[in-house]
Amino acid sequence: MTKTYEEINKKIENGEAVVVTAEEMINIVEQKGIKVAAEEIDVVTTGTFGAMCSSGAFLNFGDSDPPIKFEHLWLNGVHAYHGNAAVDCYIGVTRMNDKSPFEYGGGHVIEDLVSEKPIHLRGTSYTTDCYPKEEVDTYITLDDLNQAILCNPRNAYQRYNCAVNSSNRTLYTYMGKLLPNFGNATFSGAGCLNPLCNDPDYETIGIGTRIFLGGGIGYVIGEGTQHNPTKRLGSLFVKGNLKQMSANYLKGVNFEKYGTSIYIGLGIPIPILNENMARKTSIKDEDIKTEIVDYGIPRRKKPVLKEVNYKELKSGTIEIKGKKVKVSSLSSLFMARKIANELKIWIEKGKFFLNPPAERLPRETVFKPMKEVKTQKFVKDIKKQAIICHLNDSINNVARKIIEENENHVAIIDDDGILKGIVTSFDITRAIAENKKVLSEIITKKVITTTDDEPIDIAARKMRVNNINGLPVIDKYMRVIGLITSEELLLK
Amino acid sequence: MTIININIPVRIIDSIKDYAKIIQDVVKMNISFDILKFSTTPKGITLIIDVPSEKVSQINEAFKKEGIIVERKSTVCVDNELCIDCGACISLCPTGALHLKNNDELEFTKEKCIGCLICLDSCPRSAIKET
Repeated sequence: MTKTYEEINKKIENGEAVVVTAEEMINIVEQKGIKVAAEEIDVVTTGTFGAMCSSGAFLNFGDSDPPIKFEHLWLNGVHAYHGNAAVDCYIGVTRMNDKSPFEYGGGHVIEDLVSEKPIHLRGTSYTTDCYPKEEVDTYITLDDLNQAILCNPRNAYQRYNCAVNSSNRTLYTYMGKLLPNFGNATFSGAGCLNPLCNDPDYETIGIGTRIFLGGGIGYVIGEGTQHNPTKRLGSLFVKGNLKQMSANYLKGVNFEKYGTSIYIGLGIPIPILNENMARKTSIKDEDIKTEIVDYGIPRRKKPVLKEVNYKELKSGTIEIKGKKVKVSSLSSLFMARKIANELKIWIEKGKFFLNPPAERLPRETVFKPMKEVKTQKFVKDIKKQAIICHLNDSINNVARKIIEENENHVAIIDDDGILKGIVTSFDITRAIAENKKVLSEIITKKVITTTDDEPIDIAARKMRVNNINGLPVIDKYMRVIGLITSEELLLK
Repeated sequence: MTIININIPVRIIDSIKDYAKIIQDVVKMNISFDILKFSTTPKGITLIIDVPSEKVSQINEAFKKEGIIVERKSTVCVDNELCIDCGACISLCPTGALHLKNNDELEFTKEKCIGCLICLDSCPRSAIKET
């Protein structure tokens, strides 16, 4: 048995369409079977509500008098991108306010615009014969704009990683706050409600598909950037008219020490054209698998610890290395359900119709890493020999070594050669000033270290973040095998 | 009950006996309390204890005599207007004070909050505040 878009739309028009959410569809298929479900159900609605960092909006302000051609412009202090026509701009959600970064960003500007709040617009120009005005300083609201188009190159990821942290310090990431030593885990995505999980082969979701976007109507306009269908990591390029949207579904956010973004509500209706689509939309959380990834390793290829499914993730606890770890979502299941229900009501009331895609999304493409022409240097390429002293050495001895070797950092080891601390020339100076005699009193025991195979950029960041100038290089047994200081990084 | 934070600097504690003595002094005051968190750092010992509200000042004075720093421990509150029920805070909460109701809606049970404040900087909407 098959149905066409026209037949489904006719039913919607007559108020006869049977619409259920992707969660409800699971029970229907379980109870009635795929054949009956395909006959009875016309549309399955999906929804997701999470951080979508690629998002932004194209805005057109209209001409000032005399006219201005913006060179730079700011909206509530957030620098907007201007490399297009005179009074157009793109405000990106991760761009942060110049004066209060990590608090307010482009995502908040979009939320404030949709909330009808006045937005401070300041712009400057180098001036031309046709655009003589040098500066604009005004307040605008959404109503004052000619066009305000939410335009997001990568939204609605099919699924996403579950993040954990094996390192010994708290990490602040785009996956939220990750406690050390696998202290917690975070994930993203609505599982069985996720739009692309219900149409994993992109049969009904394609270019031109009408969708719920930010509380208004939007469209899929192509594959998302980094669309990775062969790994079931598809994404969508979407647009919609901000003027129809609601601030309930567009929320500016800031992730501590990471930056700003926006949470967007997105829902897609799936027409049940045949049994195939009935089967696909009955996907359960346990059928959607993802990987637990260690964000403690700040490399492109992060270690995968194991596979996990969304049922386990939604349960609140997962097991990692025999230990129970609390897991929670960054995206909102509450909002995802609300969106799927809202879309369901729109269709039931005859306010929203379905359309076939003008073109299907790519199903074979792969996502490539960045091509870099410079070869990555590692710590082992630039490290030097470490100056090493023993825990029992006298402060005098250490001081002599510092002078002899002309090196500010001395690694302190025990009988087994294990790193126990670090002493700098400043520590020695202070020891003299404070009249300290014993080495163990003056060493820094909590040493920030690096390893041979760490990229030098990561070693450099460790020094910058911790405000230090040297890192002992250690092997897996904590034995000292070298030293890297800011000097080597400068000369690299 | 009131949650207070006690910092015992390292110079006061030479051995575990000193710690036991301090606890005994409190026990002598006939006050029962719950230890919610016990942590040691190079700077000393930190105790987060839950005591009957009317005994706070008595404990306060007893500890201050010993050179121990006592602070009223703050807890957090969640601004429901700002909260978007994402759950970014939940996996960080050691006691389950922050949890989901009906599997999807954020609920905060103040009685369970021990004021560890780990969640404070985790909220993307800045909806969690110290009280």
